[in-house]
Amino acid sequence: MATTTSTTAPAPAPARGARRPGARLKRRNALIGWTFVLPNFLGFAVLTLIPVIAVFYLSLTGWNVFGQAPWVGLDNFTRMLGDASFHRALLNTLYYSGLHIPLTLVASLGLALLLNQKLRGVAFFRTAAFFPYITSMVAIAVVWNMLFSPETGPINQFLDLFGIDGPGWTTSATWAMPAVVLVGVWREMGYFMVLFLAGLQTIPRELYEAGRMDGAGAWQRFWNITLPSLRPTMFFVTVILTIGSLKVLDLILLLTDGGPGQSTLVLSQYIYKKGFVENDFGYASAVSVALFLLCLVVTAVQFVINRRRQD
Amino acid sequence: MKRPLTATAGILAVGLTVSACGGSEPAADADGVVDLTLGTWASTSAPEFQLLVDDFNASHDDVEVSIQEYDTDNYETQMTADLSAGAAPDLYAQKTVSAFVTYQSGGQLLDVSDVADGLDEHVAGLGSWQVDGSTWAVPFRQDSWFLFYNRDLFDAAGVDYPDGTWTWDDYAEVAQQISDGTDADGAYQHTWQSALQGFANNQTPGADLLSGDYGYLKPYYERALALQDGGAQVDYGTATTNSLTYQAQFGKQKAAMMPMGSWYVATLLAQQADGEADDFAWGLAPAPQLDESTLDEPVTFGDPTSIGVNAAIDEGKVDAAKEFLSYVASEDAAVALAEIGITPAYQSDAVTEAYFGADGAPTDELSRQTFQVHDTRPENPVDPKIATVQTIMGDLHSAVMSESTSIDDAIAEAEQRAANEAGITG
Repeated sequence: MATTTSTTAPAPAPARGARRPGARLKRRNALIGWTFVLPNFLGFAVLTLIPVIAVFYLSLTGWNVFGQAPWVGLDNFTRMLGDASFHRALLNTLYYSGLHIPLTLVASLGLALLLNQKLRGVAFFRTAAFFPYITSMVAIAVVWNMLFSPETGPINQFLDLFGIDGPGWTTSATWAMPAVVLVGVWREMGYFMVLFLAGLQTIPRELYEAGRMDGAGAWQRFWNITLPSLRPTMFFVTVILTIGSLKVLDLILLLTDGGPGQSTLVLSQYIYKKGFVENDFGYASAVSVALFLLCLVVTAVQFVINRRRQD
Repeated sequence: MKRPLTATAGILAVGLTVSACGGSEPAADADGVVDLTLGTWASTSAPEFQLLVDDFNASHDDVEVSIQEYDTDNYETQMTADLSAGAAPDLYAQKTVSAFVTYQSGGQLLDVSDVADGLDEHVAGLGSWQVDGSTWAVPFRQDSWFLFYNRDLFDAAGVDYPDGTWTWDDYAEVAQQISDGTDADGAYQHTWQSALQGFANNQTPGADLLSGDYGYLKPYYERALALQDGGAQVDYGTATTNSLTYQAQFGKQKAAMMPMGSWYVATLLAQQADGEADDFAWGLAPAPQLDESTLDEPVTFGDPTSIGVNAAIDEGKVDAAKEFLSYVASEDAAVALAEIGITPAYQSDAVTEAYFGADGAPTDELSRQTFQVHDTRPENPVDPKIATVQTIMGDLHSAVMSESTSIDDAIAEAEQRAANEAGITG
C-alpha cells in the first residue's frame, strides 16, 4: 500500500526522493530479499505458524473436530490439574528425559573421544556408530522388542548364563522405561557423536601440548581443556537433546505403546490419544500448550545458565 | 516441541486448504444418472465394498456408485479431516461404533430411519447405529467372535472336539490337555483387549463398560493368567515383544484353539489355499460361555460394519443414496458377501448355504450351527464416553496380562480413572 500511494501521489514523491536518494533502492532491495524468503516463509506460516497459533486458541475451547468450538476459558487447564493420567504422563516424560539426556550425553561424548583418535578403520567405526540414527524406527522397534522378549529374547538368555534372572523389560511396569531409554540412547548417540566430533576438531592442538608441558594427565587435560572448549557444542547438544526428549513419541509408540498399563505413557502420546483417538481436540491442544511451555522454560533456563558461564 | 503442536493443529490447516476446493455438483448428469461416492478403507483388505458397488451398479441404471478409498489404518483420522473440511464422500463406511458416535454427535450423518424401517428382521446389529430413537447408518456386515479349533491337533492329543456346550472352564481344561499331549499350545489369546474383555463385558450379567465397576473382569483374567502360567497359552509379553500374528499362531498350527472374529474365516480359507497357512482340518465352535445358562443361544460379541450418508450430501442425491443402503442390507447382497467368506448382517439359510459353500470351508454341523445361532452383542455401547473408557481398559489389559500389576490393583486403578477422566462412578 505504501508503495502505491507514494508513486501515484505526484507532489510529495519527488520531494521525498530528493531528500533521501537511497530510499528507492533500499525498498527495492528489501523487496528482493522478501521474495527470496517468501516461499519458505509461506510454507512455515501455513504448516507451522498458523497451526501453532490455532493451538493456543483451541486450548481454550472444547473443540471436538466438528462444528463450533465452544469457548470454555481455562477449563481445560484446570482439568489438567486434577487429571491423574496427565500427571502420570508428565512424570514419565520427566523420568525419560532425566535418564535419557545424561546417558546420551555421556555415551555420545565417550564415542566421540574414542573415535577422535587415530585408529585403523576409524571411518568405519564412525559410520557404524551413526547407523542406528538413520535406520527406520519401525525396524529398530521390532528388533529391540524381540531382543527384550522376556522368555525367548537373547538379552535375558545372555543374562541367564550368569545366573541372572532377567526382568520382563518392555513387558514390565518397572523396567519398560529403562528399556525404552536404552534404545533411545543407542539410537541417538551416533548423531550427537558427530556433533561432538565436529566440536573436538576445533580445539587447537596447542592447548593440549601446553597442558602436557605443564604435566597435566589425560584426565586433567579432558577436564580442563576438552570440556571447556566444547562448551558451545555441549550447549547446542543439550538443548536439542532436551527438546527431543521432552517430546519423545515414535520410540514409545512403537516399543511399548505407553504400556504396560500407563508405565511409559508420555506427554506427546497423551496428546495424540486425547486428540486423535478420543476426539477431544480442545483438551489435547491444552496439553500441547503445557508441553510447549515446559520446553520453553527448560530451554530458557539452559540459555541463562549458558550465558552466565560465558560471562 | 513443534511437532505435537503441528500434528494436533495440522488437521486445521488441511481443513482450511481443502475446504476451498470443495464445491457442490449437480445431482444428476446429462443422461440422468446420479453419481454417488462411497468412502471406504483400502479394498485390498476389504473386497466387500467393490463387490457391493459392482452388484448395485449392474442392477441400477440410474445410479452410479464409485468408491473413494482411504488408508485403512488412518481411516477415521482421514475421514474426520475430510468431513470437517466439507470434502467427504456422499456415503461413508462406519468402521467402529466409537467413531460413529463422534460423527453422529457432530452432525455428520443423515437420519436414515426410513431405510431402517423398510428392512426385515433378518438384519442384525441395527441397534448399534441408533441414537435418540433414530437410525443413522445401515449395517451390511456383522462379525461375531467364535472359537476356531484345529481338528487335527485335537485328534493328535486324543481330545474330543468341542460340542457346543463349553464354558470357559471347559475350554481352559482342554487347552491344558492339548498342550500337555502335543507340541502345540492348547490355545492362543491374541493381544487385543477385546479378545478377553469383549467376552467378559457381554457374557457377565449386569456387566457394563459405562458402569465404572469392573470387578467382573477378574475371573476372566484369572483364567487367562492361569493358562499363560501353565504353559497352555503363549505369554502376553512374548506375543507383544515378538509381534506374533494370530494368523500365524493358528494357521501354522502353533495353537489348537483360538477365539477370534469371523472375519478370520475368509483369511484362513485364502491362506490355506495359497499355502501361507498349513493344510489342516478346522472347525468353528460357539464362544465358550461364562456358565451353562446361555448355551442355547451362546452369547458372543462383535461390532457390525455399516454405511451412513454424509449429512452434507446434495439433496437431489438422497433418494439414490438410500436406495444403495437398502440394497447393502438386502438378502441378495448378503448372499454375494457370504460367497466370499464375509459374514453379512442379513442372516438366513440361503446366506449360511452360500457361506459354507466356499472351497475348504468346514462341513460339520457344529460349524454351521455356530454361524447361525448366536446372540451377538455390540462390542462397544453407543456413548460419547466410550473412546475414553476403551483407552483405560486397554491400559488395564496390558498391565494385567503382562503380570506387571495384580488384577485387583489394575481394576481399582481403572475404576478410579473412569471416574476421573470419563466422569463415571461405580
